Amino acid sequence: MRAKPFPTQEIGSMPKFSWRTKPFMKIRLGREDIESAVKWGKKIGLDNREMNELLQILKKDSGFTEGEKKRIVEFSLLYALRMQETAGREGSEKEERGLDLVWSGEQARTEMYQTPVSHIDGFEFIGRVRSFDNKYWRIASVVRPLKYAHNYHIEEFLFTKKHAKRRLKIPVTDPITIMAWSDNSYYVRRWEEKKMSGRAKKITPSKMNFYARRDFVFDLATVIRRVVRELADAGAEEIQMDIPAATQYQEVEDVKLVVEAFNETTKGINTNFSVHSCYPPRYGYGLLFPYILEMKNCKRFSFEYANRDLSGTGVSKESRPGYSDLRLFREYGYKGELGVGVIHVHTDELPSLETVRDRILYSAKVTDMAPEKLYINPDCGLRTRSPELAYSMLGMVVEGARLARSSLR
Amino acid sequence: MAKIFERDIQQLLRLQRELSFDYVSDGQMTMAWQDAFTPFTSYFDGIKRGPLVRWFNTNTFFYAPVVIGDIHAPGDAIRRSLTPYLFGDSLSTKVVVPDPLTFAELAENEHYGTKEKLMYAYADALREELVDLGRHRVSYVQFSAPSLVARFRGRRLTPKELETVGEAVRSSLRKSGLNSGYFPYFGDLSPYFPELFDLPVDDIGIDFTETDVRRIPSSKKGLVAGVVNGRSAYLEPVELIVRRLKDIPHLDRYQRINLTSSCDLRYVPRPVADSKLVRLKEVRDILLGKGA
Repeated sequence: MRAKPFPTQEIGSMPKFSWRTKPFMKIRLGREDIESAVKWGKKIGLDNREMNELLQILKKDSGFTEGEKKRIVEFSLLYALRMQETAGREGSEKEERGLDLVWSGEQARTEMYQTPVSHIDGFEFIGRVRSFDNKYWRIASVVRPLKYAHNYHIEEFLFTKKHAKRRLKIPVTDPITIMAWSDNSYYVRRWEEKKMSGRAKKITPSKMNFYARRDFVFDLATVIRRVVRELADAGAEEIQMDIPAATQYQEVEDVKLVVEAFNETTKGINTNFSVHSCYPPRYGYGLLFPYILEMKNCKRFSFEYANRDLSGTGVSKESRPGYSDLRLFREYGYKGELGVGVIHVHTDELPSLETVRDRILYSAKVTDMAPEKLYINPDCGLRTRSPELAYSMLGMVVEGARLARSSLR
Repeated sequence: MAKIFERDIQQLLRLQRELSFDYVSDGQMTMAWQDAFTPFTSYFDGIKRGPLVRWFNTNTFFYAPVVIGDIHAPGDAIRRSLTPYLFGDSLSTKVVVPDPLTFAELAENEHYGTKEKLMYAYADALREELVDLGRHRVSYVQFSAPSLVARFRGRRLTPKELETVGEAVRSSLRKSGLNSGYFPYFGDLSPYFPELFDLPVDDIGIDFTETDVRRIPSSKKGLVAGVVNGRSAYLEPVELIVRRLKDIPHLDRYQRINLTSSCDLRYVPRPVADSKLVRLKEVRDILLGKGA
């Protein structure tokens, strides 16, 4: 069978429903929470047996047992999956709706940083740091040598695998991102002490900071490789390494470290790997080239672009400034697959379907890539949007890709 | 929300007073100053708020200024974005603004033909604001200049380009009467020695946690010594910081030395940042012979 042009994928997180979060914050569920579970259950085609079981649990409204909380998380995994599998124009054929490549949208995780560092031995949380607007992340610091404690994604993966009706992937946060978002005082101190004792006297401060980052990354890679290997052994056919911090450091040696960390984490593991990154500094993804092409096991690079694009239609260079970096893949002779972000996720404004279509068509044009190799996705995770908006955004991915396919004909 | 912001700012001001800091700032912690460019994207004509972009090699982000027309400053935008408590006593007040280079490099320039023209346009508009600050008892402006060192693949500015930056800085300071400092951070400044010290400001700031100090020139300017690591929760022992200072050649030749962190302290949790401020005071006491 011929591969589908412009296949679609979810790229990161999904919003959590109030009935998923409140039981963990010890907040009593209200009627509106139950109604939301019912409304969305119907919308995404949850079967009666599943719906009844969820309602049975939620109607308790507070004082949930650990077993009940586990089921609530599992239901939220199921909701996220079904939302992705049914997004698109209501009334259209079932097989025309939904994304082609899905996963359960971070429902079992606090978020992409906090979950891994909570489960890797050696980290301690030290406070909160503002990222932008009034969004903060809990920052952790390494307090002793890092050690694998247990596989923090395996349960989520096994449940999702059992229930997914579409091709499935699982994202894993990579070592560079965990390093970049953590406090590195353990490693900085080690190098400062070396310098104080005269053992690293000739090393310049900036080099020393780089060595501290490198040590941290390789310690993490050892732990994360085991997590990834176990997922592959459990049947994960695609593991998406999430590296939003890939563009965080500007020096060439740091970009090479991104590549080394990926290769170290994935070496000897027999499954498909892809990479997601987003929100580079001002000068874009050019920083990563040509080095990222040395990520030997990576079959797809999925980056964010729509955030920097114009809202109008058109497939010219001038109409699509957000997508200019895509040309780099062509210029460096990249032959693999790409994922293209076509929906800006940090706004409640939706683009027109025609704009989404044109972003897709321009991406195909500028990369000169077969449409079958060009995956279409939102820019990044949708966790900061409401469920309604996230569902609409996924629907726009599905419908925009369909429109782009018709233009090919 | 406003009350929480106010409480945090009051705490910060109180701490700086208790530590007898020579310059006090509100740490750009007001609601009106959410990222380095908020006053400019909110109040300046010709600039609108653009996409969310990563702030250099950090996990923090800013909304890029998009320059869509001639830049005009209202003349009180920066003052309005500061906490009013900053003007409440006799302490010297410091304000931090993006330097012309950092603004021009991080903005989307849809109006001025070149980066150089944009730098000068920004500097001219900034001057209106700095004059206003000078009239309202602000005594010091620090140009925040990460773009000088944290550059794409480390490509440095040529001496000629650095000279242009200096001219834009000079233009922005004209008639303001403010004392000034130029502080590049997030990288090794040594490739800019000695020309950096020719910039038309009173003090040059140096991130000593990144900079190779062996080639630092002797100068009659003041030195803003970023000796406490603003990127790490590691609370450096006093002796390490003192050693960092003593490693600086010609230390006694600078007109004055202000101790500070290597960059903003927004990259570590607030209690850690406060401890770092206290550590600066401890180091100063040791150096002045007041410490243990």
